[in-house]
Amino acid sequence: MAAAAAIASSSATTLPEGDTLKASTFQRLHPKAYFERFLAENLRPDGRDLDEWRAVSLNVGSISTADGSALVRLGDTTVVCGVKAEIAEPELDSPEDGFLVPNLDLPAICSPKFKPGPPTEEAQVLSDRLNDILVAAGVVPLSSLCIERGRAVWVLYVDATCINYDGNAFDATLLAMVAALKNTRLPKATFDEETGRTTCSRKTRLPLQISRLPASMSFGIFDGTHIVVDPTSFEEPLLETTLSVAVDENGGLVSVTQLGLGIARGQDVLMRCIASAKDPLFLECLVGARKDR
Amino acid sequence: MAQSNFDRRRINGPDESFPPLFEADEEDPVHNLPRTRRGRSADDIRPIFLKAGLISQANGSAYIETERTKIACAVYGPRQSKTTVYSENGRLNVEVKFAPFSCTRRRAPIRDAEDRSVAVQIHQALWPSVRLELLPKSTLDIFITIIENDGIEGCIASGSVAASAALADAGIEMLGLVVSCAASTIGKEIWLDPTEEEARMASGSLILSGMPALGTITNVWQSGRLTPEETIQCMEACQGRCLDIHTVVAQALLDNAQVT
Repeated sequence: MAAAAAIASSSATTLPEGDTLKASTFQRLHPKAYFERFLAENLRPDGRDLDEWRAVSLNVGSISTADGSALVRLGDTTVVCGVKAEIAEPELDSPEDGFLVPNLDLPAICSPKFKPGPPTEEAQVLSDRLNDILVAAGVVPLSSLCIERGRAVWVLYVDATCINYDGNAFDATLLAMVAALKNTRLPKATFDEETGRTTCSRKTRLPLQISRLPASMSFGIFDGTHIVVDPTSFEEPLLETTLSVAVDENGGLVSVTQLGLGIARGQDVLMRCIASAKDPLFLECLVGARKDR
Repeated sequence: MAQSNFDRRRINGPDESFPPLFEADEEDPVHNLPRTRRGRSADDIRPIFLKAGLISQANGSAYIETERTKIACAVYGPRQSKTTVYSENGRLNVEVKFAPFSCTRRRAPIRDAEDRSVAVQIHQALWPSVRLELLPKSTLDIFITIIENDGIEGCIASGSVAASAALADAGIEMLGLVVSCAASTIGKEIWLDPTEEEARMASGSLILSGMPALGTITNVWQSGRLTPEETIQCMEACQGRCLDIHTVVAQALLDNAQVT
């Protein structure tokens, strides 16, 4: 216990070499016990409180080849998202709707647990959940992407790549995708009836119509007792339940996902987590971050 | 062009979609050869921003940015080789991935021949510099993600610099840092570090990789139409520039080591 307390309080001071080695070996061999020691002091291995988020930084518009882009750093988790717009024929049964195609890639570069090759299960599941949120929330009304009814519509490919995976890629990616969409500027397109082709103007670019700005908050329950917010890649495998709540800028609920039993200290925590996500402080930060861009 | 791959592991869009066609531009850069280079002189390279250690999950990493080329590189290793065949020397495995939004036309996430050829060039540039004889039965995995692409020459050159810096950041023993420089011939002049536009107008391009610390060359890749004299001139120009790039890379690694 003394060793754990020393580690917890010495984020600024340096430990002698021997102790650091012992701590990291203990972390590797007994991750659960290591984590429990910290939780007993109401702290987490990186020094955060149980309900504290990591520092978020957002950088938009740095990629010139993309029509819109965003780079999000949630602690060490880094996600780059770019939006490319192309033109296609709309579906027959919805001739005025464009397409929004989000995808998240978790390549081998971001973590030793991902091997090169086709998208892993985790990437597929996260892509699917992001697709659900972006479509269900109606972030970009698909009718606003119409160029010519029944002939030409915009297709927005929203591709996110994780560069460094330190847990909670879902929240970071949703933030990156919404920020990239907000940053996107589409060229003005005119459909020529005679040739059946669409030409775009290099000079005028119009921003997208964004109707809602969803953001999500992820929680995890450890050992049926503690609820932690924004888990890191060390904590994630130790949590038996993960909850993600997505809200929009007005506090409206967009999506709730729960994987696991969801019981902490004998009570169901789902409503508490939803209330946490709708917390006015969180929404203020959301709106504040959006307005700056 | 149309991308009609239905990938069941990803969210798919419509069967076919086309990149936007723009109205004809007044100036067509392909046909007008400008007399002088825009913005810099013939032997100026673009400023390099290099930062090591940004990817915490990897053993070593580097991020390089030269105006419009942005590349992230991570090194994992030495780790155990998957194959059962005993190998006295370690293996060096380089994988390159272009982000879908990195090029002017969206690239499908599927890896194709271009990724592979860039990876092979970077592998050839790095291989002589790493002391693989000290890592039996091990593999060094180098993963490169190209976030923004401004010409293949720039990608290969910056990619090999980033990979070498990442290897140094990972503490892998090497004979020297590998740096690369690209050159193109436009008319009678040799322009160093060409952008995509400039490389397209050029009659020939050359990328030279070497270890300035030892004064050796590890890889030369030439494409297009160059006379032997022009090739030698390009190589000499690149070699001279490599010394400067080496100083920048060494300084960036030193700064990073002093901070941590």
